[in-house]
Amino acid sequence: MSADFYKPMRLNEIDSSLQEEIKKVCDINVELCMECGKCTGGCSNAHIFDYTPRKIVQLVKLGAEKTLLSMDALWTCVSCQLCVDRCPSQINIPHIMDYIREKAHRQGVKTRRINVELFHDLMLNSIRKTGRVAEAPLMLNFNLRSRQYMKDAVLGGRMFLKGKLSPFSPVVKDIDHVRRLFKKIADNREG
Amino acid sequence: MNDKAKTALVVGGGLAGMEAALKIGQAGYKVFLVEKETVLGGVLRQLYSSFPRWENPQDLLNNKVQQLGLYKEISILIGMTVKTARREKDAFIVDLQGLDEGDNRQIVVDAVVLATGFELFDASLYGEYGYGIYPNVMNSLEFEAKLKEWGSGQENSQPPQAVAFFKCVGSRDRSKGYPYCSKICCMYTAKQAGVVKDMFPAAKSYVFYMDYRAAGKEYEEFVRSVIETKHVRYVRGRPSKVIPENGRLLVRAEDTLMGVPIEVEVDMVVLAAAIVPRKETKMLAEYFGARTDQYGFLDHDTFNPAKVGDRVFFAGACGFAVETQGAQYQGAAAAAEVIALFNQGGE
Repeated sequence: MSADFYKPMRLNEIDSSLQEEIKKVCDINVELCMECGKCTGGCSNAHIFDYTPRKIVQLVKLGAEKTLLSMDALWTCVSCQLCVDRCPSQINIPHIMDYIREKAHRQGVKTRRINVELFHDLMLNSIRKTGRVAEAPLMLNFNLRSRQYMKDAVLGGRMFLKGKLSPFSPVVKDIDHVRRLFKKIADNREG
Repeated sequence: MNDKAKTALVVGGGLAGMEAALKIGQAGYKVFLVEKETVLGGVLRQLYSSFPRWENPQDLLNNKVQQLGLYKEISILIGMTVKTARREKDAFIVDLQGLDEGDNRQIVVDAVVLATGFELFDASLYGEYGYGIYPNVMNSLEFEAKLKEWGSGQENSQPPQAVAFFKCVGSRDRSKGYPYCSKICCMYTAKQAGVVKDMFPAAKSYVFYMDYRAAGKEYEEFVRSVIETKHVRYVRGRPSKVIPENGRLLVRAEDTLMGVPIEVEVDMVVLAAAIVPRKETKMLAEYFGARTDQYGFLDHDTFNPAKVGDRVFFAGACGFAVETQGAQYQGAAAAAEVIALFNQGGE
């Protein structure tokens, strides 16, 4: 962003296509934003965001798509829904985040945080295979693949002994339904 | 002790003054309505549209003028100003001056309503905005005239592609001597920016603001509708400079929401200049023994918000910036004070 704004940004050159896209696809009108910052004030992770929720809405208005696609906040947002819950204009910021996150992933935009995509893919794979997120196998897999072999060993061991973790990945009853969902989304993408 | 022989003077034939004169006349008292211009209406006559209902202000004006003509108690003296006035017991002896040298008149009145209105802050005091230098930088009343011209139905050879509105030009500026908020600019700026989008849907309309103050019935909804349905772009920041470039005007500011410098090229810049008192108001206040504040606005009594001196009342923007509806309220309130005073008979 700082590079883009080294010269004063020209409002005449604002491309409103992203704003219109979000209005059309997500049914979210960012013009409703009153710029109060209640979203940022409530955000559970704002302290580690490079762009806070209010600024993200503002970036949509400014048409700063490149900044949005590469921002770190995409991957530190946990979709806790506090922002939309508290927004006086009911702007669904998590939905905007989802939309931009998917777009960034599809376009292969490199994230600044290592392993973000790896975790994203492993988690989706787990859901695709079993219909649920099995924490223990997922974390084991992730830590091995990201070469952080000892990362959760101590905590994981204690949780296992207390019976809080299962090494197995139980499959949901209607796994076919889950597979159909994945197929539907994949078909939509292609279409 | 209903002493209908008593007479009031209303100075200023804008909306507030017209309302005051109308109510005093309707109550059966003789009233002089003195207006320095040759037509009634004041600022109301200059307006193209109104907030918060997008009504034609000329309808309101015509309604008032028509009603004023119905009462024989009301004498309208246009093209006249108060030359001087002196107090004699409970009466004021007022010398009026017409447009011509020999056109003088003396009247004796028992109460006075001052409704002398306001003027706009001289925006040329901001060298950085180029008011008075670049022809397309104008104040908000000049822009109303422009809107009237555009709205007259004549072919407009050069519709603007982009217009920028600056709020707080003079207002909320200690360095210029006006630390106060002029109260009505947020609303009329929203109105003007919205009218631009209605007239020229392809044009961009930018409003530079620090915050928008929409405290009034239907006001917040009005401003939001201008943003959300008319798509006027509100940019938070106080513009710092207007630069002529390629025959257009380049506005420099900060987007204070993102903390980045921004600029925008426009065809026209409209300055929402501060509402300041007229010089004549202070002079008249001295003639009639009324109080004024540090800026030169009339200063009201603690217990009577329409009263500014003994037998002297005020209505409209000579007291402080006020919107159309408020000016009417104040006109009616001042009239009520006059009528109540006259009904006390023996005093």
